[in-house]
Amino acid sequence: MDRRNALKQLATITGGLVLIPSCDFSAEEALKAYENLGITERDQQTLTKIVQVIIPGKHLKGAEELSMQDFVLVMANDCLPEKERKTFVKGLKGIETYTKDQFGKTFGELNPTDGAEVFRSIMAKSTSTDKSTEVAQNFLGTTKRFALQGYMTSEYFLTEISPYQLVPGGFKGSVPLKETEIVKTNG
Amino acid sequence: MANLNTQHKQNNTYDAIVIGSGMSGGWAAKELTEKGLKTLVLERGREVQHMKDYPTTNKYPWEFEHRGQIPEDVQKENPIVSRCYAFREDAQHFFVKDTEHPYVQEKPFDWIRGYQTGGKSLLWARHVQRWSDYDFEGPARDGFAVDWPIRYKDLEPWYAHVEKFVGVSGNRDGLPHLPDGEFLPPMELSAVEEYFKSFVSKNYQGRDVIIARCAHITGNEEYYAKQGRTLCQHRVLCQRGCPFGGYFSSNSATLPWAMKTGNLTLQHHAVVHSIIYDEAKGKATGVKVIDANTKEETEYYAEVIFLNASALNTNLVLLNSTSNRFPEGLGNDNGLLGKYIAFHNYRAGVSGEYEGLMEYTTEGRRPTSAYIPRFRNLFKQETDFLRGYAAGFSGSRGIERDLSDVGERLEKGMISPKYGTWRVGSHMMGETIPKEESRVSLDPKKTDEWGIPLLKVDVGYDDNDEKMVKDYLEQVTEMFEAAGFTNIRTRDDHRAPGLDIHEMGGVRMGKDPKTSLLNKWNQLHAVSNVYVTDGACMTSTSTQNPSITYMAMAARAVDHAVKEKGK
Repeated sequence: MDRRNALKQLATITGGLVLIPSCDFSAEEALKAYENLGITERDQQTLTKIVQVIIPGKHLKGAEELSMQDFVLVMANDCLPEKERKTFVKGLKGIETYTKDQFGKTFGELNPTDGAEVFRSIMAKSTSTDKSTEVAQNFLGTTKRFALQGYMTSEYFLTEISPYQLVPGGFKGSVPLKETEIVKTNG
Repeated sequence: MANLNTQHKQNNTYDAIVIGSGMSGGWAAKELTEKGLKTLVLERGREVQHMKDYPTTNKYPWEFEHRGQIPEDVQKENPIVSRCYAFREDAQHFFVKDTEHPYVQEKPFDWIRGYQTGGKSLLWARHVQRWSDYDFEGPARDGFAVDWPIRYKDLEPWYAHVEKFVGVSGNRDGLPHLPDGEFLPPMELSAVEEYFKSFVSKNYQGRDVIIARCAHITGNEEYYAKQGRTLCQHRVLCQRGCPFGGYFSSNSATLPWAMKTGNLTLQHHAVVHSIIYDEAKGKATGVKVIDANTKEETEYYAEVIFLNASALNTNLVLLNSTSNRFPEGLGNDNGLLGKYIAFHNYRAGVSGEYEGLMEYTTEGRRPTSAYIPRFRNLFKQETDFLRGYAAGFSGSRGIERDLSDVGERLEKGMISPKYGTWRVGSHMMGETIPKEESRVSLDPKKTDEWGIPLLKVDVGYDDNDEKMVKDYLEQVTEMFEAAGFTNIRTRDDHRAPGLDIHEMGGVRMGKDPKTSLLNKWNQLHAVSNVYVTDGACMTSTSTQNPSITYMAMAARAVDHAVKEKGK
């Protein structure tokens, strides 16, 4: 596929949120991940819904706004061993059917609060219940892990929420804590 | 034709050749060029210029596609280097990939290499503890290897010389077994480290906890400004290359310094095939080099040759330098070349928590740790194993966030970090005993793409190492428990030798040419104009991180070579 056309198509898939600069590696990487994992528009919408359930944007920006669905896919594509990657894709492709079967509604149909309840219910099930629950739990667990990893190392989080200092300039070994001060994460 | 040859020979002739631009080669180059010798440094890898070639140095965490992680396919293709703690997305370009430079493992051995200007000096952990006579006298006292031909007093002025230029932050602790040096102000211990230090000194006679001496600039700025370096900024991103020159590397310090003399020629992509020996003259006359890219062969000539290719590659070069006089490798009259390889045992660690000092935390970041100098079998033999171990120690305040839920509650967890207990940890750095069967040799059949035989590595643990791991775990656990640390966990990861990146020996120093390869000045006994001053020269390993000792030996050997030349 011609790269530019492919990027245009990706832009369509992601609802036009992705701009098409001449070299945006995140968009290009996401595209590779979409292609390699065989992700359809519907899968992509499902994943976006789920990262938004994980971080809905009540106290912080929502996961979708930070494109965590793309980050999750890039990590699944590039950093999971083959077997886990296959399980992840299987989980993604089956999650809405599973949710509909078990809870009568898909993530797509649920509001964030109810979505979070469904997420918790799935994760709380005994793993020995059946194979499909195991696959769903694996998928949701992996998605949450990558979404959190990407979110907490995002520019937004590390500048506005928990500032990261590239150049701390020093080190103090014993600093008395003051009640009012924010926690020093020393990132 | 004869004229052309003469011309070629003149163009390719230097006063000195240094093989390798890493930690010790950089020092040889600096000292040689400062003393006025036209010096050629041969580096097998690509050029990495200070600052200019540190592509990731100012990147924020979010600018890394996988947030630091190495992708699965790269790990699968390169299992050896992937086991190295520093092989991450931000520094991967400074490591040799397994597939690029294969070697043969008779036993599992993780050989971690950096082929570029500066070698592994860009990537090192920067601990610089001096040796003492409790280290140099080890083999003679305990009856292993051979006696070192030097003692602390031989190296002391050279440690001082090297430390001053490198920039060493440290505290003057007054320990006989870990001598003080030319120190810049020490970095601070954290509150829990201070507590453990005072607890140990009150309760364990002969055991100490100190701040590690590390190769970071913490003072005397005007002096280091002359090198174009400045104060360490505590970024703790050292492995990317430091734009401040806050830590020492060949790239930031010795090589630019040597370049300023006008006497340095630094050549890259120069794979050394062998050292050329002239039987009539009874000495080495030059080096045969293969261009890494074109595979073209060139010879370079010099009166003195410094071999600093990194411990195992130095063995390889000598083993591959065969002639009528030395059919088994240059200087190898006794058949011991490549033998008595040793390393540091880094297998074990202990971690725990401390629930005291809850009213304190730390601020900023620190590119080093506390250090527990060797206390076992130090002044006399006291256990059922030989020698001992040093240990790293560090403690910082834990930060906890409740990330167990999803949705709104997860967001609350993300924005509500709380101070947890102090987290403490230690890792062992054990001395290993060099043995004849621990060796490297040339594969009789397999060669690399430059036609050089692959190195076969046959190095493993022994019973002494097993006993030492057990003792380390017992002693540190006991000290942690006594200090009131909780949730103590021990680990023995059974990592392969080599991952410590402190492989040493094979061309050991000694008094007797029958039982060693190098004399007390690091010259090959049999070929006096070849000096070996990297890890290959080590007769025993002791426990200290070895780089500062290699650097001191390199500077001392250059001084000797130049004085010899004047005679």
